[in-house]
Parts: sequence; structure tokens; C-alpha cells
Amino acid sequence: MSKDTHTLPDTRTWREIPQQVRPRAMSIEGRRRMTMGVMRVAIGSAVILGVSWGVWEMAGVLRENPDSMPEAAKADRVRSLVLVTDGVLDKNWLAKTLAVAPDATLMGLDLNQMRQRVLADAQVSSAAVIRNFPDTLVVRISERSPVARMMAQAGGAAPKMLLIARDGAAFAGTGFDPAMVETLPWIDGIRLSRVAKGLAPIEGMRAVSDLLASAKLEAENLYRTWKVISLAHLSTDGEIEVYTRDGMKIIFGTKEDYLRQIARLDLLVDESKDPTRPLRVVNLALGAQVPVAYGTAAPTLGNPPSETLNAQSARPQVAFPSISNPHIDIHREL
Amino acid sequence: MSSKTTFIGAVEIGTSKVTALIGEYTGREIVIIGCGECSSRGVIKGSVVDYRAATECTHNALEIAERDANERIDHVYLAQTGGHLEGFYNEASLNVKAADNMIEMDDIRTVCDLAKAKELPLGRMVVHNIRRPFRVDGRLVPTSPENLVGQKLEVGYWTVHGQEQRLADNIHVIRGFNLEVRELVLSSLASGHMVTSMEERQNGVLAIDIGAGTTDYVLYRNGAPHTTGVAAVGGGHFTNDISIGLRLTEGQAEKLKLRFGRALVQSRDKSEKVWLDGNFSIGDRQFSRQAIENITAARAWELLEVVKKKLGHAFSPETCAGGVVLTGGGAKLPAIAECAAKVFGTSARLGEAPTWVNENLRDPGFHTALGILYYGVSVQSDRTATARRKGGFLRNVTRLFAST
Repeated sequence: MSKDTHTLPDTRTWREIPQQVRPRAMSIEGRRRMTMGVMRVAIGSAVILGVSWGVWEMAGVLRENPDSMPEAAKADRVRSLVLVTDGVLDKNWLAKTLAVAPDATLMGLDLNQMRQRVLADAQVSSAAVIRNFPDTLVVRISERSPVARMMAQAGGAAPKMLLIARDGAAFAGTGFDPAMVETLPWIDGIRLSRVAKGLAPIEGMRAVSDLLASAKLEAENLYRTWKVISLAHLSTDGEIEVYTRDGMKIIFGTKEDYLRQIARLDLLVDESKDPTRPLRVVNLALGAQVPVAYGTAAPTLGNPPSETLNAQSARPQVAFPSISNPHIDIHREL
Repeated sequence: MSSKTTFIGAVEIGTSKVTALIGEYTGREIVIIGCGECSSRGVIKGSVVDYRAATECTHNALEIAERDANERIDHVYLAQTGGHLEGFYNEASLNVKAADNMIEMDDIRTVCDLAKAKELPLGRMVVHNIRRPFRVDGRLVPTSPENLVGQKLEVGYWTVHGQEQRLADNIHVIRGFNLEVRELVLSSLASGHMVTSMEERQNGVLAIDIGAGTTDYVLYRNGAPHTTGVAAVGGGHFTNDISIGLRLTEGQAEKLKLRFGRALVQSRDKSEKVWLDGNFSIGDRQFSRQAIENITAARAWELLEVVKKKLGHAFSPETCAGGVVLTGGGAKLPAIAECAAKVFGTSARLGEAPTWVNENLRDPGFHTALGILYYGVSVQSDRTATARRKGGFLRNVTRLFAST
């Protein structure tokens, strides 16, 4: 072999002849074919665009107005309801909430309306309703977790307990374990207001929730004694007042770290074990200086507000009249 | 219609006529569904000399074919002929690289590249690279030598090249109809493949396509094209000689050639006369039959001698057991096969289209267009069957002209 393949001469082939030709050099038929070719591409593109637009529109119509579906598409009846949740609500609650008619067809259901029904219960934070062909309606929900509870009375009706979530939403609380509910502290010092779809969220619950979470995590022995949380001075002074089962009032400030305040409280409680001089008031909202008031006699254990609500005579013997009336009236705004 | 169906167009722009064929290829068989023919203008000896006239008649033929087929095509395979086409042989050898002397694909690729690499004069372009069989240590290997053991690998290529402007003119005529030229196919290869059998090609055969302006020939050996060429002499020269010799117009001379011309002189009677028209019209004249035969026979002999001379040492009756096969419009001249047998000193016959070709297309004038269509089918089936593989052009040519 005498030659290296890398240095071979570059042989030209007929394929290097450009096949472009000027329209002027084309015959009439050639120009007509070229025009037809361009038009075919244009018409093809237009048809594809038109079909895509039509499909999009049709999908929109079906999504917005299922009644416009042909009868054949409505044929399948809803035979099963499936609930997918991260909380405690069950299938019975779903059936009761949706109230799907026995002869309702899957395509005949208004999914938006179904979703609104599910969301009407404040215990549900988000919901999605899905048709699972041929005959199943799937509801996926995310539930709120309660951090506290309260008693509410609308007009002349009997008072009833509501659970309060971290975002301030108040809800009846279906399906929760009563033992768990018993451990939740009561909320006091607020007025509920009604909005278009239920109750307005309680302001300041995030701060309360953070305080309760910190206490539960870092000093559960103290948290277990907390009975009532008052938000009466939260908006004005930035203070959260906690009343314990043994009649002590603890004032937390929202501007300082809760962990530090809880640590100080823990120290104070540990250092003040004298039964003759029980702690009555501890103000942790003033920073490093913690004013403390002592009592003279052992306090009487108070009853939970739910029990005191209905019978004034059974109200706890507490030293602070400011929380003596845990009744909460629902203020109708709308 | 199947989604696999493709339409293949074949065009031959000849000196006397333009032929366009459209075939419907279903993946297994081809059906010729359209045929268009038009008298050629603006083409001399296979080269376009009047773009407008050549375009007009080519486009007419294409239109007729498309109308006949009731289908539109978007690409064609174009026949290429003309006196500007030339060929040369170049070979290369290579010492096998592997320690065990087993030939690898890389060796084959390298030796092929070396054999094809030859600088062409300015303005010349390759139309075909036709590979001859490999040789391993002097031993002939008709197929791929991969995995054979040997020390020296040799291969030769017959390279056909043409003048860039002439090639471009033909392509532009087709592009003027907004069609793509997918391949240029040498006329001699196309018609040669149609009129010879695999066995003949294996034993050696010379196919001569006598057109109006040019005569294309291809010599097969060992099943593959060995030498191709174009002689710038064709049936038109017979007419021209009669016209000059008997002082007639070209139309009259053509008429006499078709009616009384022969490749060998048969008439012994000098006084035997034939009428020009034979309808006793004014201006009808008598001519000596022997004179006409003398002219056409001399021309036929001369034409075949030109071909023989161009072939040179490549042709010998011993290496051409299949003899000579004649095709093209010029092959319709009576006694041309006998004349060829005498010139080449071997057997000669007229080429016939394969049996699957429709009766209307069995005329020798269609053999080139049919061969191009067949070539298109081979390319198409090769594309669909081995779309993943590359290097199509060489493989297609090899596959088409090396096997049935």
C-alpha cells in the first residue's frame, strides 16, 4: 500500500451538483407543481392546527359543561365511591357529604359541585374529584389537624365544641379520637365571625400553634397542665395568656423565642415548689426580667370550660376573672 | 393503497425520444402504471443543447406518464449517456493487517477507498464507481472477502466520469419540473442489466445499446460490469448517410432506413428498385435497394467496429462466452445480430426484455427506461430493508449489477 487513506484525493461526484433551480428556469407545469407543493404544506398545517383547536375546544366544552355530552357517554352509573385521604375522615362521611343520587351517572356528575361540597367542611383543606371510568368516583382530600379546641354558640342554639387548625380554621372535627381531643387546650378571648362559606379563620393561631408545638416538644410536663389559651391580648399587646389546671397564669410574648420563654418557665416552676407559696402569675413577655406573683393557698383544680359553659355554678375557682367567662359568641358579620 | 407503496419514476432523455416510466412498488413487486413518450428536441448525442426545447419535451413525457399513472411522483432516476462520459480502471492492493491474516471489514474499506481515490481533471465528476471482484492473494473472490485468510487484498474499480456542465444540464431539466433526481444511472448499465441473464454476465457478455445519437455498451465479466463506454455514433448516423448518399431529406432517409435498411447486404441485384413512398404520389422516387443496404451495412459495421476498438483488449471472444446482445432502437435494423457476430467473432443476439414486462413495453427502445426502473426498485428495497446501514450508493450499484 503506497498511499495513506487520510491523504486521498477528494473525488467529486455528481451529487455535488446543486439541485436548486430558479423558478424562471422552470416550466409552467414545474412552477404549478411547486406552488401546489407549498399549498399542500400550508393546507396540511392549517388542517392540523384546525383539528388541534377543535379538540381543545371540545375538551373545554366537555370539561365545563358535561350536559353537552352525548347520551351514550352518560350511560354508566356511579357504582363506587373511593376516598383517598391523609386524615381521619371515612367513606360514610364522603357518602353523606356528596349525597350522590343512586341513579346518577358518572358523566352526569358535576365534579366542581362535588368538590365544593367536600370543601364546605372546613376539616378538608384541599380536594380533587376524579372520574375513574367506567363507574368509580375518586375523591382525594387533604385534612387539617387540630391544635386546639373551643366552645361556640350561635344565637340561641346549644354551644358546641369546635376544633381549630394551625391556619385558624374552625371545624366540627369528624372522626377524631375523643382521647386525643381531650388533650387539646381550650382557646379563649376571641370572637368568631361568619363569612360567606362558614367561619372566618381565627387570627393569631399560627403563633399559638408554634407556642403549643414548642411546649409539647420541649416541656411536655408543663404542656399537659395547660388548660386555656387566651388570645385576648394577642393583637393588642402581642401576648398569649395560658391558664393552667392549677390556676396559674403564664404570659408569653410573641416577639421572643418561645423555647427560651418555656425554658425560663420550667426553671421557675422547678424552683418554686413551696406549696404554701404557689405561683399565680408568671410574665415571660418582658424578656430576661420575669415578674412573678405568688398566691397564699393551694388553688382548686378547675373544670374544663366546656363543663363550665353550661353551669355558672361549676366554674373553676381561679384568681383571674378575665377568663372567667369562656362563652364565645359568634358575631355575625354577614 | 398500502402505506409501504412507493412510486418510482424513470426518465431517459435520449436523442430521438424522451421516455418516462412510473412504477408502483409495493415492497415485493413493481407494477408499471404510467408511461410517457415524447419526441426529443434540443438533445444531440445525449447532451442537452437547447434547454428550453429539451425541458418542454421532457416535461411533456413526464406529464403524460403522471396522467397515465394517475399519480404524482416527487423523484426520478435519470439515465445518463453522452459522448462526454468516459471510464478508467484503477486498482489498489493492501497487505492484510491482522496477525492471523484474516481480512477484516476495515481492510476492505481501506482498499476500496484507495481504489476509488483518483484525482479527476477539472470539471469532471464521478457518475459511477463500479467495483470488480476482489482478489485475495490472486484468488478471485466475487463476494465480500471478509473473514477470508490471505496476505494481499486487491480490488479494482471502473470509474465512469462525465463533464460537470453536461450532467448539471440534465439534472436541471428534471428540476424544472420540480422533481428531485435521486440517482444518475448509466444507460448502458440499465439496458445491459435488462437484456442479459445472470448466467451470461457470469460467463462474460457484451451488451450494446444502439441509440439514435450514441451507442452505449457494457462488458460483463464474472457477474459484474467490467468495462462501460459510450460511442458517439448511433442510428441517426445511418439516416444521415442515406440522406447524403441518396440526396434525400432526413425524414425521407429515415423512412428508407426503417423500410429497407439492413446491417448486412442481402440484395445481389443492382437493378432492384424500391419506391420512396410507394403511393404513386408526386415526387415519389425509386432507389436501388442494394445502394440503401450498402450504406446501412457499412455504417453498422463501422459502428460495431468503433465499439470493438474502444473495448480494446478488454474484449476477446474467449472471455465473452455469452456473446453480444444488442438492444436500443438501432438494434431493430435487420441482420444487425449477424453483423455483430461477424465483427466480434462470437455469437450475437437481439436483447429481449424479461417476461414480466408488458407487451407494450417490450420494444428495445424501452429497455433503458425499464432498467432504470429496475434499478430504482433495487435502491428502494435496499433502503427499506437496510435503512440502518449506510453507504447506499456503492452497495446499490454492486447489488444491482452483480446479482439478479
